[in-house]
Amino acid sequence: MGLLTREYETAPCTVEVSHKFESLHAHVRFDNGAVIHPGDEVLVKGPPVMAPYGEVVIEKREARITRASGVERLWTRMTGDFEFMELCEFSFSEEATL
Amino acid sequence: MNVHASHTADATTVEEGLAIQEAQAVHDSESATALAMQNTLLTPRFYTTDFDEMDAIDVSSVRDDWDKLIAQMESDPNKGHFKKNEDWDHIDWDGIDPELRKEFIDFLVSSCTAEFSGCVLYKEMKRRGNNKDITQLFQLMARDEARHAGFINDALREAGIAVNLGFLTKAKKYTYFKPKFIYYATYLSEKIGYARYITIFRHLEENPEYRFHPIFKWFREWCNDEFSHGEAFALLMKTDPKLTSGRNVWWIKFFLTAVYGTMYVRDHQRPAFHKALGVDPDWYGQAVFEKTSEISKQVFPITLDIDHPRWMPSLKRLQKANADLDRAKKRGGVAGSLGKLGASARAAMAFLSLYTIPVKHHKVPTETRLEPMY
Repeated sequence: MGLLTREYETAPCTVEVSHKFESLHAHVRFDNGAVIHPGDEVLVKGPPVMAPYGEVVIEKREARITRASGVERLWTRMTGDFEFMELCEFSFSEEATL
Repeated sequence: MNVHASHTADATTVEEGLAIQEAQAVHDSESATALAMQNTLLTPRFYTTDFDEMDAIDVSSVRDDWDKLIAQMESDPNKGHFKKNEDWDHIDWDGIDPELRKEFIDFLVSSCTAEFSGCVLYKEMKRRGNNKDITQLFQLMARDEARHAGFINDALREAGIAVNLGFLTKAKKYTYFKPKFIYYATYLSEKIGYARYITIFRHLEENPEYRFHPIFKWFREWCNDEFSHGEAFALLMKTDPKLTSGRNVWWIKFFLTAVYGTMYVRDHQRPAFHKALGVDPDWYGQAVFEKTSEISKQVFPITLDIDHPRWMPSLKRLQKANADLDRAKKRGGVAGSLGKLGASARAAMAFLSLYTIPVKHHKVPTETRLEPMY
């Protein structure tokens, strides 16, 4: 990890998108055990993984992980907490008017 | 491709589902609001945390309560509940007031995104953790959130809004939260969620003529799930007394103030929704704060003084400052910038005024567990 430079790597991954009534979810799992750190960016390559209603789609894809630089990682660790309101649910979006 | 399928529910292949969604997106842009279009693509947030610290949690000091709670969640009392049945009344979406429609869809989309983000966060913790107690809890909570999201999604589809889960192929940045911040924020979010839903449910039980959509009938079971999730976070916080003492009490006060204040502001931004429900947002806010404060005594040594003479006037100033800020942003130019500066300063002052109201102290009971009773 560079102090100021970003590095890229690719990782095979399994994408699971469930568009069922019982469960609406979407997850990415890295098949090579790659671990995401604060400030990293993940992009699953290829066209959007779409599941029609009522179905679960599981696909093997490749993901590009952009590793945050050392400074970026530190910054994200220091400031991420200020975005804590993102964790709270208020039923409505923050838009003042619609 | 089956050209007769007009709903993704009827699609048999991914490509077909995609094509229908695209067609619907066009339809949405013409008939629904810009908001519906923007949010059709679900955009959950992605987080990371200190997983080693979470793995180090030892629940043995609350083992009895913990096992009971997990057993209750595993028995899955709400399985099969989140289904439309004969209680799901037909909604005439074309006949609904456009303002109400906009606000109600904002409610559905925001709630769906929140459940979905919760699911992503919990699943990530489940996957990254090695502590069996913790991973089991997060797995169960992820299950509930995905189920809620699916239920809301169904209501959205009925309103002609297609949810698009294609976000995974967009770049996602992972932000970071300390575990304790996740506990405070998520605990409060789950408990305030319970209080919000149950207050509306009880109000509509007494005044069914205001129930303009059937989803409100499902609020009780929905919020019972939120309640159990909150219980789990209360027990987690109980395992480490430092989390609720000393300097952290100031953090707790900060979280309480921020969460109550934000809720008050957001609710007041949706007047048509509350009017249709026959709910005065001021009354609703206080009713929700009261319940949340009462519940949070199970683990927090302080509660906010919501009857303090400065409380309500400061909330109102905060709300007004926010509305002014929005107007200034829309105006733009020099006048807009000045307006933004002034409104931001007033919002900060209002928040400070709320934060400096002396708190109520009380003794946290040895027994943590509560049952939903409102």
